Amino acid sequence: MAINQELLDILACPQCKGEIRLNDAEDGLICEACRLVYEIRDDIPIMLIEEAKPLDP
Amino acid sequence: MSLPQPPTPAKLIVGFFVKEKTLAAGIAQTLQDRLGPVDMISAWLDFDFTAYYEKEMGAPLSRRLVVFKTLVEQTELAAIKQMTNAIEQTYQRQGQRRVNIDPGYLLPERFVLASGKNFTHRIYIGQGIYADLTLIYQKGAFRTLPWTYPDYAGKHLIDFLTLVRKKYMLDLKQRELP
Repeated sequence: MAINQELLDILACPQCKGEIRLNDAEDGLICEACRLVYEIRDDIPIMLIEEAKPLDP
Repeated sequence: MSLPQPPTPAKLIVGFFVKEKTLAAGIAQTLQDRLGPVDMISAWLDFDFTAYYEKEMGAPLSRRLVVFKTLVEQTELAAIKQMTNAIEQTYQRQGQRRVNIDPGYLLPERFVLASGKNFTHRIYIGQGIYADLTLIYQKGAFRTLPWTYPDYAGKHLIDFLTLVRKKYMLDLKQRELP
């Protein structure tokens, strides 16, 4: 089950509980509100705040 | 003779539904304070498979599922249900619940919910709580059972649980690493 829009519709940012979107490289989920990127590893989104990377490093 | 084996640690998943979505942040924070950090949370999902709760809680109702990073022992489920019942009570207004919280756990082969109500297929697990075998995982997918709640049989929830299971299997693999 790859990450697609349907799956994004059922996931939320663990910090703000808001919407997330797939990045252009399709290897991360972006929360615009928190300016965080959650990495996707082997089709598994790692939705841990402490492992998220800043959107604007 | 089968040799007793220690049970597999479980992925804790707590679902809650509310009419007032503004309550969600406080509820999620309370759960995190008691159960540790969250590693996955669902978007809002419509809770519209039954009208059973509308008289008490109003409508429309919306559900969220919160998944916890730290794996739990399966034997903790009854105590966790008692704790979430206590949280429900703190949100009551004039004796009416404003949030309904349903803790459960995921194992590689099944998803189990806690319930305070006995029923034919439920197993007593102590503290007045029963375990409801809600979904089984067979041949690469979750399968419903004749008694599975319609919302847990729905595509959105099963898709979410499938994603949670992937993360959980990774958690288990990482525990095995030296």
